[in-house]
Amino acid sequence: MGSFRFSQRTVAVAVGVLAIAYTVEAFRIPEFTAVQVPVQSGTLPRGLGLMLLGLAVVLFFRRDGGAGPSPSPAPASVTASAPGEGDGSGAATTPEAPPAPGGRVPAPGRFRDVRLEVAALLGSICLYVALFEPLGFLLSTALYIAGMAWYLGLGRPWAGALTGAGVSLALHLGMSRGLDIALPTGPLPF
Amino acid sequence: METLHHIVYGFGVALTPQNLAFVFLGVLIGTVIGMLPGLGPMSAIALMIPIAFTLDPASAIIMLAGVYYGAIFGGSTSSILLNAPGVAGTVATSFDGYPLARRGQAGKALSVAAVASFAGGTVGVIGLMLVAPTLSALTVSFGPAEYFALMVLGLTAVVSLSGVDLTKGLISATVGVMIALVGIDSQTATLRFTFGSSELYEGVEFLIVALGVFALAEVFVMVTRRGAPAPDATVTSLRLSRRELRTIGGPTARGSVLGFFTGVLPGAGATVASFLSYAMEKRVARDGKTFGEGNIKGVAAPESANNGAAVGSFVPLMTLGVPGSGTTAILLGALLVLGVQPGPLMLDERPEIFWGLIASMYIGNLVLLILNLPLIPLFARVLRTPQALLLPLIVVFCVVGVYGQSFGVFDLWLLVGFGLLGFLMRTNGFPAAPLILGLILGGLMERSMRQALLISSGDFTVFVTKPISATLLALAALSLLAPLVGVWRRRRARALRGAAERAHDGARPGDARTGGTAGTTEEPGAGREPREGGNG
Amino acid sequence: MTRPRIRVAALAVASASALLLTACAGTGEAAAGDGWQPDKPIEYIAPANTGGGWDTLARTSARVLEENDVINRPMRVVNKPGGGGAIGWAHVAGKEGDPHTLFVTSPPILLVPLAGESDFDHTDFTPIARLAGEPLAYLVRADSPLTTFADLVEEVRDDPGSLSVAGGSGPGSMDHVGLAGAVQAGGADPSTVRYVPFDGGGEAMTALLGGHVQAAVSGASEARALVASGDLRVLAISGDERVGTLPDTETLGEQGIDYVFEIWRGVMGAPGMTEEQVAYYEDAFAEMTELDAWKQETEKLGWVHDFAGSAEFGEFLDGQYEELSGILTDIGLKK
Repeated sequence: MGSFRFSQRTVAVAVGVLAIAYTVEAFRIPEFTAVQVPVQSGTLPRGLGLMLLGLAVVLFFRRDGGAGPSPSPAPASVTASAPGEGDGSGAATTPEAPPAPGGRVPAPGRFRDVRLEVAALLGSICLYVALFEPLGFLLSTALYIAGMAWYLGLGRPWAGALTGAGVSLALHLGMSRGLDIALPTGPLPF
Repeated sequence: METLHHIVYGFGVALTPQNLAFVFLGVLIGTVIGMLPGLGPMSAIALMIPIAFTLDPASAIIMLAGVYYGAIFGGSTSSILLNAPGVAGTVATSFDGYPLARRGQAGKALSVAAVASFAGGTVGVIGLMLVAPTLSALTVSFGPAEYFALMVLGLTAVVSLSGVDLTKGLISATVGVMIALVGIDSQTATLRFTFGSSELYEGVEFLIVALGVFALAEVFVMVTRRGAPAPDATVTSLRLSRRELRTIGGPTARGSVLGFFTGVLPGAGATVASFLSYAMEKRVARDGKTFGEGNIKGVAAPESANNGAAVGSFVPLMTLGVPGSGTTAILLGALLVLGVQPGPLMLDERPEIFWGLIASMYIGNLVLLILNLPLIPLFARVLRTPQALLLPLIVVFCVVGVYGQSFGVFDLWLLVGFGLLGFLMRTNGFPAAPLILGLILGGLMERSMRQALLISSGDFTVFVTKPISATLLALAALSLLAPLVGVWRRRRARALRGAAERAHDGARPGDARTGGTAGTTEEPGAGREPREGGNG
Repeated sequence: MTRPRIRVAALAVASASALLLTACAGTGEAAAGDGWQPDKPIEYIAPANTGGGWDTLARTSARVLEENDVINRPMRVVNKPGGGGAIGWAHVAGKEGDPHTLFVTSPPILLVPLAGESDFDHTDFTPIARLAGEPLAYLVRADSPLTTFADLVEEVRDDPGSLSVAGGSGPGSMDHVGLAGAVQAGGADPSTVRYVPFDGGGEAMTALLGGHVQAAVSGASEARALVASGDLRVLAISGDERVGTLPDTETLGEQGIDYVFEIWRGVMGAPGMTEEQVAYYEDAFAEMTELDAWKQETEKLGWVHDFAGSAEFGEFLDGQYEELSGILTDIGLKK
């Protein structure tokens, strides 16, 4: 996880670049002159762009440590605790989970380097998306599930293939037959 | 007394074996469709309309209403189990529901959701029955200025959703509003940030962002968590202890009422209600700090509010014939084709529909509870899926959800992009919740501000001269200032105490535990982790 | 951009009822006679998401066509939402010469290209038929001093910019153009009307009820409940004759304002269809609009029968394009 954690200044610079690009683009939004309008389409975007720039500056110059503008040495207990991992709503610090007494599960994936692992996952999702329409929902989904299950080291390879086929078929029938939602069919006749 | 007479009549309509069967069917189908990726109440109702056409109007609306709250509950299940909120109203549920599920308390989280939904729905129905005609006055009293103030109030929740780091929370929220502004500007038809791509003309769908930054990002986190224990897959009992029931009593009661009144307002009722309720409870609760880590109050508050709001949105539909949300708009269309014109005259012209619906809502809520409690262990078993299977399944869930709504690959690439963004935000300590809040409320806020100013010819005083708008803005200011004052006071107190008795500091029972979770003290490797950024 | 073909399973209900109807076959056999006939399922595109006006039109007409055996192949409704229609149109435009792709349409096929937001306009497609229409209603609160549309025009002329009018769609779209055109025909400058766009006619009427604006524009059928209850009053409707949904309301013409605006609804096909293919669909839709099932459904939706065949529909579109283009130029929204 640490590999994807950048220094606060790096993050601040990235946000700053985004803010500048956004602000420039916001100033290129044309004025609306046909009818008199008190607030232009560009007004709020410009304000937002500048606000983001300001926030990036704050982030750049404040103390590192991801604990708010507090000068306190033990900030984690000041405002609210950092929530545990996996909540998606405020993990200011993302610690590795402590080793559980119940034993470790096999690590998903095959690479030593976590960065390669993430890249492999991203690549697999992109491949899935790229093949979604050409191969059709049924084939691409079944292949994706089976392939990923194998790659991530599911104990029984046939279980992955079976689940892939079963889930994609159930979803396909449920959505396109039952609910009349069109999913791509690809070369298959249905 | 008259109401009593009517409701008895209503139960007479709803309790016929035929209509009872339709309530049951509607709730069941709704729950199942709501659990499917990307399908919320709106799609669920739209998809059931062809079947409703074959029924008589009263049965049809009774069934469709069952589909409605079934689908809302179904949506909460995927929020809790997979961190994949399918509709905006259930986003707040995932904040605490998902951590609970990861801790092996999925059963409990789902039970709390079911009980809170039941309470929210029931309070809403009582409200609908007693005060619907009066409330239509509240609905129409909200013009653009009042909406603007409401959205501002909603956006103040960003403070409580930001966790420890307000700067990063604000950055997330700003980016959220930026995403909301992509597309054709509703006020001047100007294109904004579409980069010549017509796929972006109608803006970025909420669902894409939510599934990306929550669910897909979670998949990325899973592969990086090598060697870490899998989430606790044992499903604890779904039974809630008496104490737990008491604990969620307050949040549920407040959430239900807040939800109902907010739902009465056309627009973002359920979403605004669930966020406001969550933020409010976080502030009110003694253990507000543990919100976001898996506090059952954090599930009860938004769940009661979004169900209360779902019922509340029937008020404008039934009393004015005006749909208050996308879902009620579709219901309105269905009613019209069934030959029923909702509106001020409906109570007199078609009482069997109005009162039958109200009675069926009582029954539907009960059915929802009875139906779902026994099924919860079944749902919760999803988490026992081996990670090597769960991971690709979540990806498929997200992809199908997005494709089923936009029917194009462009949005799937956007989904992947938001997944990556969400992952990087997670690893760098940016909370995702404010981004979603900004996305949902930002666009509405801008629109109502500009409508209000257009009507007032650019006079900014409209926001403070109108009583409702002024009150809401004052509340917003208050909710921003109060915690800041609190922080300031605590910080002062701590600084004083820290100077006086430094050794005592770490021993305070309340903070010691949470401090430990934050990875600063207990765990050997963690000291390195949060500081590592300094190296690069 | 090439998109692979997407086929949809037929509506569960439609197929069920189709089964029922085959049992008692021999009702109205295919309308076309000996000419061309479709030989595979027809992809029937609603360039919007489920639940909207286009989707309702597509699903309703598909159901009536199939249930009554007017057409010999299934009509598969496919939603292609995005870009206010532009995504769906681009999809159909890429199917040159394909006789098995149709789409439902209404004034945005003219207005969106005029606003510069679509690369394709009505001339890029094959007109099949206009099916129905619906006028706009110009509304005020029951306690408003305005009684006719002329009063509203006078107000605009005397005190430009004083009057706020709510509408359910963005600037330069149907509600706005229908308002601006009528104000102009009444003799006032349409760019001085303060048009406030809301999200749908319902929200616009709520704003009017609360007194946040002085008038509102919406589809006639949307307004009927609040008009019947006496909360709102209609100044006039924009059609050329009165409608059943608001029977007591005068048209603009009756009030001496020479302007007609219809929210017409029709069907178009892929570019480059042959005359026989057009004739087949034209006849099928003509037959459909005469069916009782269709009449009942449209009456409930508040749509007025307004059929025109391919040629007439094409001319109508050209005329509308010119007229709307003029109005959009006058209010400064033409790109």
